[in-house]
Amino acid sequence: MTLRHAITGESTLQADLYQPISSVLELRGVSCAYGTGRPAIENIAFAAKEGEILCLLGPSGCGKTTILRAIAGFEPVRSGQIFLSGQLVSSLGHMTPTEDRRVGMVFQEYALFPHLRVQDNIAFALRHLSRRERKVRVEDMLRLVGLQGFERRYPHELSGGQQQRVALARALVHHPVVLLLDEPFSNLDPDMASRMRQELHDLLRRTKTTTILVTHDHAESFAMADRIAVLNQGRLEQFDTPETIYHTPQTPFVADFVGQADFIPGTVSRGMVQTELGEFPNTLECEEGTAVVVMIRPDDVHLASHKNSDARVLRREFRGSENLYAVALPSGQVVHASEGSTVVLPPGTPVRVNVAATHTVLFLMRDARPVNRALE
Amino acid sequence: MITIRRQLTSPLQLMTLVTAALILLPLGYVISQALSANPAVWSRLWSTRLPELLTNTIRLAASVACLTLVLGVSTAWLVTRVEFPARRLWEGALVLPLAMPTYVLAYIYSYVLGIGGPIEQLWQTVAGPEAHVFSPHSFLGATLVMTLDTFPFVYLLSRSALLNMNVSFEEVSRASGISHVKTLWLVTLPLMRPSIAAGLSLVILYVVSDFGAVSLLRYQTLTYAVFQQMTGRSDHTAASILSLLLVGMALLFLITERWFRHRSRFYQTTGRYRTPERHRYGWIGTSLVTIYLVVVVAASFGVPTYLLIDWSLSPEALATIDTRFYGFFWNTAFLAACAATGGVVIGLPLAYMASRRPNWLNLTCLQAAYAGYVLPGPVAALAVLFLCLNLVPFLYGSVIVLIVAYVIHFLPVALQSLEPALQQITPNLEEVARTLGLGVRQTWQRVTLPLMRSGFVVAWVLMFLQTMKELPATLLLRPVGFDTLAIRVWMEASEEYYQLAAPSALLIVLLGLPTLLLLLSKDWRAA
Repeated sequence: MTLRHAITGESTLQADLYQPISSVLELRGVSCAYGTGRPAIENIAFAAKEGEILCLLGPSGCGKTTILRAIAGFEPVRSGQIFLSGQLVSSLGHMTPTEDRRVGMVFQEYALFPHLRVQDNIAFALRHLSRRERKVRVEDMLRLVGLQGFERRYPHELSGGQQQRVALARALVHHPVVLLLDEPFSNLDPDMASRMRQELHDLLRRTKTTTILVTHDHAESFAMADRIAVLNQGRLEQFDTPETIYHTPQTPFVADFVGQADFIPGTVSRGMVQTELGEFPNTLECEEGTAVVVMIRPDDVHLASHKNSDARVLRREFRGSENLYAVALPSGQVVHASEGSTVVLPPGTPVRVNVAATHTVLFLMRDARPVNRALE
Repeated sequence: MITIRRQLTSPLQLMTLVTAALILLPLGYVISQALSANPAVWSRLWSTRLPELLTNTIRLAASVACLTLVLGVSTAWLVTRVEFPARRLWEGALVLPLAMPTYVLAYIYSYVLGIGGPIEQLWQTVAGPEAHVFSPHSFLGATLVMTLDTFPFVYLLSRSALLNMNVSFEEVSRASGISHVKTLWLVTLPLMRPSIAAGLSLVILYVVSDFGAVSLLRYQTLTYAVFQQMTGRSDHTAASILSLLLVGMALLFLITERWFRHRSRFYQTTGRYRTPERHRYGWIGTSLVTIYLVVVVAASFGVPTYLLIDWSLSPEALATIDTRFYGFFWNTAFLAACAATGGVVIGLPLAYMASRRPNWLNLTCLQAAYAGYVLPGPVAALAVLFLCLNLVPFLYGSVIVLIVAYVIHFLPVALQSLEPALQQITPNLEEVARTLGLGVRQTWQRVTLPLMRSGFVVAWVLMFLQTMKELPATLLLRPVGFDTLAIRVWMEASEEYYQLAAPSALLIVLLGLPTLLLLLSKDWRAA
């Protein structure tokens, strides 16, 4: 007891003295050059805490894989720094070789060595150990990913999900500082993908592995991540928890990318935002007369059949657990609403539209325009 | 900037640059020699030999192209669209002529069609004792030999076009009420056009740069003339002028071939492969098809091989199989092994840099290495000879000069197996090894090299077998008395000692068969 106290006491003392960087991975203003054949990234900064699962989310070509490759040490940085466990590994003119970074990586196509058996693939990083120790570690990893009995197979004899588990075991076997996953579920069929997502999440939690996961699928990032970095055209748009990202997106791009969103135009007058769907609080605190848009998610919109209403149902899309309705407002503006799937409102039905949002998300009209145009 | 500087100083990059320079140097030397020649030499050539040489070369190439077009496309169509007994067997047999070097086929036909040969005897029993067939030492003879030797190029490319073609195109045409024959003309053949064109360009490239057949049949072409200028008159300036023309022609057809091969991809389907419906003919049709194929394969491979075996077993030929014969064999094997090893060692950094760091510099180096394609044997010999006499004259007449010429000439063969072998290894595999703690060199040892081992072996074997049957460069550059099998065949055949040439020729043909297997295994199914 006393011994342990002594140790913890000492370590807090040291912590005070050296001000350790609490994050396992930190990027400070990282930019990567054009002309390497990969999308460029500009001034990216974020940090991952011990055991955290971070998600880099964005459309293809936004540079999320470039960030992953910069962390792994495959891409040189043009400016900024990357720290792993508090040590500078990448900056302009300095690049710690990949093999000295202790990162684990799972590629989109898994990149299992086709000439090696499962056991040799997993033991690839363990050459310094004795044969017996290697065997023990391989067995541990196989148990961890649930592939006991597969050690003598070759990669081509495994299914997609099994290959992914081997790739994961291989990446985790040398206890990497950070695990990098590049679109890990994109080569699996949807059923398998959701199962693997669950399994992977449990496994990462159990092993307390700091993980950076790259994906273009917001559902996947919501399911996996503690925090999400949304990227667009090489820039970081928002870095937050999944809930914050969904409910209070900071840019119209984020609002649109992480789920269905409608942007209802309005104007500020008498301290409130006036729109076709009613009044909203002026959370941006802009001047009287400013043109703004209100972001509305389908789950905040409720429909009620009402004979004298001017709004009409345009389309209904049956999604199993819900119906997604597109409703045309008198001005021609279209709003989406999700309702339980038991009540059916056929197209043409006049409806009253109620908005009951817990938060109001406002954007200036000029910022929202590109998104609106893309939607049309 | 920093990364670029670091790349330039890496040993691999330096090797790549030096190799490309070494390969381009001889070619550049020939070109500069030709361009700086006295105009009097140009005009002399132009007024004396050139018109005849150019017409001869073009005439031969054009007639061979026409005949191979008919032979190649028809045989390809038969084996892919008609069902008849032993179809698969014929499908394979039609490639066999590629194992036969042109000089072997030429020497056999100069016997078969020669005065007192079997064809003439046969013809005289029909048409009377004074009748003659055409001489093999003529335009017709050269056309026949070259056609029989090169039609498999057109056959192979047409066959793969037919196999890869989406059957739906033909079915749509039939469904629109268009007959079988009309569908062939309106749909099938137009879709095959790029592949046929690529095959024909390959044939022409081959005919233009061939030395073996035209020298034995004494038909004057540009390539043969380069050889004669170098041996008979030792006129290197004239030889380099002729070479420049040759290189220009070869380059033209090489580019044509690549362009059409690239285009043929657009015509092939990406969808799921379906076996086409094969026609079945009655017994008359089936026997006609079989007779046609028997004639083609017999003329191009069967009869020549039979004659070679028959002659090899004659007492005169058996008497030549002594220690001298084994000496020739070892000379050949030694040269080919050296050239193959050199080619693979030199080719590997080039292919690696081009696939892993495909910037303009590395891609240019790789393309430079393909220069061997446009250097017909005598020209490659001429180029290396120039370089040797100017830079390292003491090496003249040594085996090293010959090996350098082989490497330059056949490096494309090695690169063609090394390049895809490397491209099949995704860079992710190397990167994953780095994340698992391996350095650059270890990654090479434990990942890259083991994965490309088979490509490595194929490159070596192909280069070995190609070098083994090389004739003109060997004739020009070999050390005195250092004969190879190919040289023996050529020398005995030039003196019309048919039996004596047979054992060496037979050995070359037999050793050529594995080449075919290797070449075909890659894209035989192609679907």
